Parts: sequence; structure tokens; C-alpha cells
Amino acid sequence: MNLAVQIDDLSYTHPGAELRALEHVSLTAAAGESIALLGPSGAGKTTLMTLLDGRLRGWRGRAYVLGAPLDPDHPPPRARRPDTGFVFQEFALVEPSSVLRNVLNGRLGRMSRFRAAFWTPAFRDFELARSALADCGIADLAARRVDSLSGGQRQRVAIARCLAQEPRLILADEPVSNLDPARATEILTLLTGAARARGATVIFSSHQPDLARRFADRIVGMRDGKIVFDVAVDDLSEAATAELYRETVIPPGSGLRAVS
Amino acid sequence: MRSRGLGSFAVGAFISGAILWSLLTTEVELSRLLSAGPRIADFLGRMVPPDPTVMNEIMKGSAETLRIAILGSLGAIFFSVPLGMLASETMVSPALFRPVRTLLALIRAVPLILVAMLMVGAVGLGPLPGIIAVAIHATGMLAKFYAEAIDSVSRAPIAALESAGAGPLARLRHAIWPQMAPVIARDTIFRFELNLRESLILGIVGAGGIGFYIQTYVRSFQYDKAASVTLAVIAMVITIEAINVALRRRFA
Ligand SMILES: Nc1ncnc2c1ncn2[C@@H]1O[C@H](COP(=O)(O)OP(=O)(O)OP(=O)(O)O)[C@@H](O)[C@H]1O
Ligand SMILES: [Mg+2]
Repeated sequence: MNLAVQIDDLSYTHPGAELRALEHVSLTAAAGESIALLGPSGAGKTTLMTLLDGRLRGWRGRAYVLGAPLDPDHPPPRARRPDTGFVFQEFALVEPSSVLRNVLNGRLGRMSRFRAAFWTPAFRDFELARSALADCGIADLAARRVDSLSGGQRQRVAIARCLAQEPRLILADEPVSNLDPARATEILTLLTGAARARGATVIFSSHQPDLARRFADRIVGMRDGKIVFDVAVDDLSEAATAELYRETVIPPGSGLRAVS
Repeated sequence: MRSRGLGSFAVGAFISGAILWSLLTTEVELSRLLSAGPRIADFLGRMVPPDPTVMNEIMKGSAETLRIAILGSLGAIFFSVPLGMLASETMVSPALFRPVRTLLALIRAVPLILVAMLMVGAVGLGPLPGIIAVAIHATGMLAKFYAEAIDSVSRAPIAALESAGAGPLARLRHAIWPQMAPVIARDTIFRFELNLRESLILGIVGAGGIGFYIQTYVRSFQYDKAASVTLAVIAMVITIEAINVALRRRFA
């Protein structure tokens, strides 16, 4: 089987943090698969996806992304970076720049260093940016500055930038967390649809089990840096989700009191 | 409440004390104060009508003031780019940016006219000491503004471009610069306006520009000519203000 992601026994602690953000995490994703990461705040979803994007140093374990090993001590070579696309939880767009420029920024890793630094996108870069904008339904916003957009529109720009990058693995960190239910469905439809059309693998995190069920082939539950379940959508039980999001029980005598 | 009442009493006593001290020790003679009104009126009377024959000097002086402001601002930008980086919280360690910030605050604390006097002492009369003075004085503020512009750049888009495979130069060009440029442009224009306005009087201490003529004409009792130059200065300040308002409307 062709694997997009294959990780084994990953552990990671953020610099300065006391608790491990990831503890002995193992996971595989088949090419073309759509996986949802569920789990309460602080479970380690962002940490895991950031690691897969090659942006964390000093972790332990083994990780292969799109067939190549990740190095815990060095960032991936430039040529491989655009293959993994990341949709950031807080969008991470260049606010004073136009929508089109932000989407073209997704092409920077595919251009020569000279082209990238001196801003001479080729015809093909513009074409890919335009088609990503069209796929995300924001072709008419191309000239607008990002700081004049709504949250839902920004989310579409962030996804368009990721698609223009032509990634084979898409990591989307809570792509619908600050959208109303109708908008959330639209965004996930376009994200998973665009990925399927391009044959790309998707891993997205979410706090909404119903959306995860609808848009993923597989659901991975995380809590306290560990994977607590990893099941096909049809096998996900209500009890497992409830257990995943249960309140933290504070042991008596720990000096902390629960807030009512 | 008690301590607050006491506090305001102390402040009141302090202010009254300061006023009394000024009145009693300055030896303001009542007779001179009473005759000051008519004298000032007489003085102003000798300023009208302003003498329009000094148009040439006005043009020459204003052109020199403009040159001092332009070259002084260029100098300030030249110093502010490196000093702004060294004063930035996000680029260098506290051991470096704290002393640099203190230095900039000290520079800001010295009035331009004082820097100009020192520079006239150092390099002699003419526009050169004016240019150096403007460059030094403006750097105190501009480098601080640049440091703030650097520190206000949000990191997330930089990480996003890195994730997409953009190199350091491309990140600087497409994530950092677009965030900084509007702030840098606005602050530099603002400081240039202040430089132009403040350098109008530099000539009074011999540091070049239109102020030189005001000083010369007042010293030689040619009040009607001094009046023309003063009017020209007022007109220039108003023009600068108007241009600035127009610019701000465009950039805001
Ligand atoms: N930069 C950091 N420095 C120190 N600790 C961090 C940092 N980022 C995350 N952590 C810690 O790592 C753990 C996992 O955080 P992470 O952001 O991966 O959680 P998450 O599942 O994405 O949560 P959320 O649903 O709120 O986005 C948390 O305990 C968090 O406090
Ligand atoms: Mg997160």
C-alpha cells in the first residue's frame, strides 16, 4: 500500500513545557485518504500536524512523509516542502496584501529562489492561483486586501493558498473552528473535494464529531498527547467520542478546585 | 480616600509654591510690565507694512531649509535602519535593545536647537551643522518607530511561507516587508514633516536656512523685512500641514 504518512512512536515536548505534547504516537495514512483528528484543546493535534509539516525540532521516533524520512534535527529540503500543504488555525495570511498575492505566496516554494525573491511569478503560477481561487469560490475577491475580509472568506483564501501550492498531503488545522455550521459544511466540502480531485491526502483537526464523521474516511481521537482510538468512520461509537471529550477529573487533595 | 485628599493638598501646595517662587524671584517690575503692552504694539507697528523686497532672500532661505530637511531626513533614515533593528525586541536580545532604546530616549530628550548649537560649535556655520543636527535629533524618534514597525510584524505568515518552501529572502520580501512598508512609509513622512517644520528656525543659531534672515533683520532693526520672512515661515508651516493632511488621507 502507498502510504502518505507513516509515523512510529513519536514523542515531543515543547521547549519550556513540562508535559509532553506527544507521547508515543503512531499513525499511518494511505495516499488519498481523508483523516479527521478529534480531541479536546491541548490534546496535541496542532503539535502533531506541525511536526508532520517539518517545522518541529528535537522530537523522538520515526516519521515518513510522502515516502521520505523527516529529520528531527533539520528542516526538510526546500524541494520537498511544497508537497506538504498546511492550512493554519489562525489563517496566517499576510494581512495588508491582496488575496491574489496571498494565494500566489503558495507558489513560492515551486519557483526558483530568484523568481521567488524578486516576485516574477510565471504564467503557470497565475493560472494555478486563479483556479485555486475559483475552486474556493472567491475569484471575485482576488484584488481585495485580506484585512478587509470576513473570517469565512479568510479561511477560503488560506485554503486557496494551500491548493495553489499543489500539495500531495494537506494538513488542515481546525479549518472550520470559527465558522457557522452552514459555512463549516461548505468549507469542508470544498477542502475534501479539492483534495480528492487532486488525489491528495487530507488530515484535518476538528472539535465537531459530526463534521468529522461526514468528511473523513477515518477518525483518530487524541487526548493528552496520546492516540486513544483510530477507527473507520462507521466504527466510531458515541461512547468513544463522549469519553474523548469528558471533563478532566481533578483528583481530590490536589489543591485545585473544579469551577462549577 | 484620606490619603487621596492629602495627596491633592500636597499637589496644590506644591503648585502654589512654584508660582509664588517664580513671581517673587524674577523681579518683574510692575512699571515695565504695564508699559510692555504699548511697547509690543509699537514694535508690531514697525513690522507693517512688511517689506516685500526680501522675496529673493525668502526663496533662498526656504530652499536651503528644504534641503536641510531632505538631507537631514535621509541621514536619519540611514541611522534609523540599523538602530531600529538593534532596538527591536524581536530581533535582538534584551541586553542589546535595552541600552539602544535608552540611547534613543536620550537623543530624543535633547531639543533640536540645542543639537544644532553644538554642531555649529563643532563644524562651523552654514547648512552642514543643520543637516547633522536634524539627522541626529530625528534618529531618536525614527529608529524607535522602525523598531516598533519590526516588532509589530506578525510571525504566523512568515511560518506559513516557510512551510510552503519560501527561502529567507522570499519570506522577507513577501511576508515581512508587506507588513512593515505601510508603517515605515507613514512614520517616515510624519518625521519628515517635523524635520521641515523644526528646521525653519535653525538659522537663528547659525545652522542654515530661512531662520537666519529673521535673526539678521531683527538684530539690525529691519522689522518690516523680518515681518515678511516671518509671514513666509507661517505660510510654509500651513502648506506643510495641508500637504500632510492630503497625504494622510491617501495613505490611511
Ligand atoms: N509553543 C508552545 N510552547 C509550549 N507549550 C506548547 C506550545 N504549543 C503547544 N503547547 C502545549 O502542547 C500541548 C498540545 O498543544 P496543541 O496546540 O498541539 O493542542 P491542540 O490539540 O491543537 O489544541 P486546540 O484544540 O486548542 O488547538 C498543550 O498542552 C499546549 O499547552
Ligand atoms: Mg490546535
